[in-house]
Amino acid sequence: MAKKDTLKALVSRNISEEVAELLLTKYNTLSSISAAGIEELVEMGLSEEVAEATLAKIGKRTVRAAAPAVKTKKAAQEPKAEPMEEVFRERVFTQSEIRLKKIADRIGSTMPMKIITDIANVIEKADLSDELCDKLIGTANRMYTSHLMDKNESTGVMAAHSLGEPGTQMNMRTFHYAGVANINVTQGLPRLIEIVDARRVPSTPSMVIPLTGIAAEDESVARHVASEIEVTSLLDIASVETDITNMRLVITPNARKMALRGLETDDILEKLNKVKAVRGLVKLSGYQIVITSDEPSYKKLQSMYDSVKGAKIKGIEGISRAVLSKVAGSWKIVTEGSNLKEVLKIEGVNANKVMTNSILEVADVLGIEAARNSIIHEAMGTLGEAGLDVDIRHIMLVADLMTNDGQVKAIGRHGVSGKKSSVLARAAFEITAAHLLHAAMVGEVDSLEGVTENIIVGQPVTLGTGAVNLIYTPKKGEIE
Amino acid sequence: MIRGISKRIGSIKFSCVSPEEIRKMSATKIITADTYDDEGYPIEMGLMDPHMGVIEPGLRCKTCGCKVDECPGHFGHIDLAMPVIHVGFIKDIKLMLESTCRNCGRIMLTAEQIESRRDDMSEMMDLGGGTIDLKNFSKETAKDASTKGVCPHCGTEQIKIKLDKPTTFREVDDNHKLTPKEVRERLERIPDEDLRTLGMDPATCRPEWMVLTALAVPPVTVRPSITLDSGDRSEDDLTHKLVDVLRINQRLRENRDAGAPQLIVEDLWELLQYHVTTYFDNQTSGIPPARHRSGRPLKTLAQRLKGKEGRFRSNLSGKRVNFSARTVISPDPLLSINEVGVPYIAARELTVPVHVNEHNIEKLKGLVARGPEPSAENGYVPGVNYVIRSDGRRIRVTERNAEEVAENIDIDYTIERQLMDGDVVLFNRQPSLHRMSMMAHRVRMMEGRTFRFNLCVCPPYNADFDGDEMNLHVLQSDEARAEARILMQVQENILSPRYGGPIIGAIHDHITGAYFLTHNNPKFDRFEAMDILSKLKDVEIPKPMIGDGGKEYWTGKQLFSTVLPDDFRTTFKANICQNCDHCKREGCEYDAYVKIRGGQLISGTIDVKGIGNSKGKILDRIARDYGADRAARFINEVTRLALGALMNHGFSTGIGDEDIPEEAALQIANYNQECINEVSELVESYQNGTLDQMPGRSLRETLEVRVMKVLGQARDEAGRVAGKHLGLSNPAVVMAKAGARGSMLNLSQMAGCVGQQAVRGERLSRGYWNRTLPHFHKGDLGAHARGFCSNSYKSGLSPTEFFFHAMGGREGLVDTAVRTSRSGYMQRRLVSALEDLKLTSDGTVRNTVGTVIQFKYGEDGVDPSRTVRGKAIDLDDLFAEVLGDDADRLLRVDNLDVGEDYGSREKDEMEYTEEEDGEEYDDLDTDFEGGSE
Repeated sequence: MAKKDTLKALVSRNISEEVAELLLTKYNTLSSISAAGIEELVEMGLSEEVAEATLAKIGKRTVRAAAPAVKTKKAAQEPKAEPMEEVFRERVFTQSEIRLKKIADRIGSTMPMKIITDIANVIEKADLSDELCDKLIGTANRMYTSHLMDKNESTGVMAAHSLGEPGTQMNMRTFHYAGVANINVTQGLPRLIEIVDARRVPSTPSMVIPLTGIAAEDESVARHVASEIEVTSLLDIASVETDITNMRLVITPNARKMALRGLETDDILEKLNKVKAVRGLVKLSGYQIVITSDEPSYKKLQSMYDSVKGAKIKGIEGISRAVLSKVAGSWKIVTEGSNLKEVLKIEGVNANKVMTNSILEVADVLGIEAARNSIIHEAMGTLGEAGLDVDIRHIMLVADLMTNDGQVKAIGRHGVSGKKSSVLARAAFEITAAHLLHAAMVGEVDSLEGVTENIIVGQPVTLGTGAVNLIYTPKKGEIE
Repeated sequence: MIRGISKRIGSIKFSCVSPEEIRKMSATKIITADTYDDEGYPIEMGLMDPHMGVIEPGLRCKTCGCKVDECPGHFGHIDLAMPVIHVGFIKDIKLMLESTCRNCGRIMLTAEQIESRRDDMSEMMDLGGGTIDLKNFSKETAKDASTKGVCPHCGTEQIKIKLDKPTTFREVDDNHKLTPKEVRERLERIPDEDLRTLGMDPATCRPEWMVLTALAVPPVTVRPSITLDSGDRSEDDLTHKLVDVLRINQRLRENRDAGAPQLIVEDLWELLQYHVTTYFDNQTSGIPPARHRSGRPLKTLAQRLKGKEGRFRSNLSGKRVNFSARTVISPDPLLSINEVGVPYIAARELTVPVHVNEHNIEKLKGLVARGPEPSAENGYVPGVNYVIRSDGRRIRVTERNAEEVAENIDIDYTIERQLMDGDVVLFNRQPSLHRMSMMAHRVRMMEGRTFRFNLCVCPPYNADFDGDEMNLHVLQSDEARAEARILMQVQENILSPRYGGPIIGAIHDHITGAYFLTHNNPKFDRFEAMDILSKLKDVEIPKPMIGDGGKEYWTGKQLFSTVLPDDFRTTFKANICQNCDHCKREGCEYDAYVKIRGGQLISGTIDVKGIGNSKGKILDRIARDYGADRAARFINEVTRLALGALMNHGFSTGIGDEDIPEEAALQIANYNQECINEVSELVESYQNGTLDQMPGRSLRETLEVRVMKVLGQARDEAGRVAGKHLGLSNPAVVMAKAGARGSMLNLSQMAGCVGQQAVRGERLSRGYWNRTLPHFHKGDLGAHARGFCSNSYKSGLSPTEFFFHAMGGREGLVDTAVRTSRSGYMQRRLVSALEDLKLTSDGTVRNTVGTVIQFKYGEDGVDPSRTVRGKAIDLDDLFAEVLGDDADRLLRVDNLDVGEDYGSREKDEMEYTEEEDGEEYDDLDTDFEGGSE
């Protein structure tokens, strides 16, 4: 910004020309002035009051002491970007767990710790003899071993069947109200398809945000957190009129609505000043905000109106609604729209427990393992909602396959199926001709390892009983 | 027949055919577009040239000398007068033209760039990159190269190339059209080394081969002509297309040789390009599809392969088979669950091959001697249809030659014996959504013309008997029979791998029967008890109890216990459990606390939770602890017993069961009116703006939510009142409570009030302007005007209610129709993505390439069908086994062996419908579904 413009800008902020010119001897831009503290300005020969007033007019907010609202308290302790502390939560095993684990190790059991923990929880209070414990673990181990999946089992087909078959029994009804909050969430078959498709944005993105600290207990604090999250656009808190005679926009804030969202007129002013189309034109006039067009054009006025009315004053991009609900004594926020990355930064949010139904977002923010868990959670939830019982192992397999190479891949032509190694399998699935032609061009070799390929050429598949290749060549003399 | 180890195809390599190869492998050159001469013989060097194979019986192939079915057919070729581009490769050709120099043909990358790309490529392949990765990588290389404006090798300035879909290339600067000939010349210039950089293998495919100079003509066997009844020949679509190609090719050659004007030659050339293009793919975008005389688009090469009806999906992934039968199914409660009743007529056609050896030769001779249709006084005796000699000749056994053929039977012959009792067959019903859709059954020969099976097997097949048909396949090899018997028999599939519970179990009347047998422990006198027990095959009659006056009697629980394993123990809550705050256990006033010790039912009622499919806990435990065969026996016996009890009791339900006393009807009507009034008040307050808006909702939405809630209450209240008056002895209520069929919601709709009708979860609103029907005022938002049915099915709906009900019902039908196709496609994708995964012997789950998908299957390696509802081991089982009856005492865990209620996930339907109104049409759905088949 040239000095001239800066001068104009300063004057437009009701700063006397004298002061402005003085300031311009040292600084070139508004931001550099505001970057300088009061002390620097005093050094230049301004009185303390003038310096403070100037800075306030430019837009630098001095820390207001004794502001009553909770909000300002929060603002004061603005979270600094400290490096995240690594959290190790080591599981402390109970006495009985350790006792049982030892026995299990002794007999060489490969049982997962979960089983041992389950047993330990039951016997915790009972005083069982060593002998009985031995017997317990021994029996448990025998049961576990006999429940193991057979080798060469076609686990994939089993998972696909188990997930696909209940699909026919699911509801097509898209909407369902999630719990107490009146928020629509896609459910049933459409949601299941959406999960398997790995859509970038789900049709009804939604988050469940448990709160922590006082926000979890106190409704007004919780409400405040919700207002930090929910997008508030100008029209939500104020009415905007186009004053054609004076070529300006008149914004009348609604005090009640603003208070509800913990906003003040200054906040609006500040945010509106950041809107590109009206930057530098926003002025406070009494309790109203007036934006005067800098050029006498109706078109400009209209475009100003359009960009102003949708201006985001507060909240997180993408979250159109945040509803409070109390679950098990603590407050939770359920939202329409999802923006995990930003929500995690909000104070009062229990960042460890925030959930979003947008799987791709989870992958972006928290990584692929989190995305895998998210797929499992969402799929299990959808099936559970429909009253269908599907073993979690099947869903795990699907989730693991989808996230196998570090990215969330869809089940289908653009994802897993399209990346199969076999030409014939790909051709048999979809886009037949293209796959065959390309294979011919580069000289692909199909090594006939999968199911489809072997069915096509008419030989046993390599799964289950077909996977076993046991050939016994009798030694000479063994046959009579 | 091939026995023992057969050869396996190791791999299949795909490649392009060079023009030289096309000519070399060609049996004949085709020059004339004519097919047959006047006598009906194929013309030499025509499209039906006998060198390319034969399709008429009696004729011999002129190339190999074989007859029809022996000769596989031979390719011919057409020499194209001018080269044409192969449409399938058009994008690749474009990329190659762009990435190579128009002058020297080198790839437009500097030596270093080539080097680094090649290094990256080999590194990627070393790291396990697949063909798809290679494809993307090469594409990137080509894109990189194509951005250069000047060739780094010869310094020639490049001209941008534009593709005019589908097959025309133009140079952008002067709009100069690149003829296929020019394209081919450019492609020829690309050196082999640069092709490798571009991800191609010059040995399998040189780029210039993508511009065709010779066209391979598929054998006649690929495009057989059919002779119509009228004697006319009708040619295959491919032949038609080849005729077009030949005609234009001929004209083009003539014109070119005669020195015709360039314009004409070019036009013909383009026409030839069109025909060759449509010959490959008649759905190429940008050009009109070639049509048959009748106006139907021709099915050319790509169309033959593509899609559901294409070669891949309908002939290669799925194949038609012999030794199969299909007919209508009907129920037979007296068959075992692993049997299937096969009609004689079907059995006479279905055969099992039996190899003749010295041990069975005499027996088989006798069998053959009976002929193909032996008569028997009672029922069915299998005959023999064919005898296959050791040299492979088939002899049809007839009534006349039976004796003679039997005489000649020798070791190493194979006879094809007709089906008989006990044979293992596969039984299947479409849609085959899971592995239980195809199970192995034992054959039972039966009169009649339908397949019959036990009703318990309906759920896995999802079958009913409203006209369903099923397929039966007879296994043809010992290995197949062994596998079927071990893996596919019905009893092996009682536990579903989907959720680790039984999918086969008692249904409908079985459950009602068991309920009557055990609920409140009825007494049976000797006659009744023996009548019920007589349904079982061999049974130890329990000791009778002695009642008043020394009369001996048996209790229902005693009778039920006869089918339990001797040492069986379990405890759980039955379906009729009222979920009291404090469980009185054995002292339950509803007799809902089921306790079985030492194979004796001590307390409780047996209903769905006991023996039902998917919920039955007794069943679950028997299948798990006593094995598949014992479980099958249990199901067979318990259902017979239950039916015996039901027949003894007598059971029927009718419209009279929904009668409620007048005062109850009045009560319901009053409450309904109250609710309707309340709705009117709500509407009024909405209209004059006094309605309190709910946060985050519009005023109108608030109204709808409130109204729905009020009307939901009305329906529930009606149901409650009706339920109260129907009483527990009402047959319909018994069925609902025991979980046999129907729900209390169904009942309350029949007896109480049908309730609010909904479309898309909202009250009805569409129809006329501002109203649903002309019977109402415009803008009427009241209960009746928006689809509330205050009548019950019994009392009958009013005309408007009936119409609204139909609206809601229609949604259910649409829903089902959409759902089947959507979920079908989802399953196809899932299967295609997951089919190759298997559990390897090191415990990891891998795909065909060997990539590890899971290090331990399901994180614990446990088979879901062997789990107890998803849990790796059942703690109750464990403690019961180790600690015995001391478990409760030692552990002092109150609820230890009252197994967790795993049916709880399936919400109580009453609750469910509060929000889900669509549910009420479920029964309607299934009926229609069945009817539409």
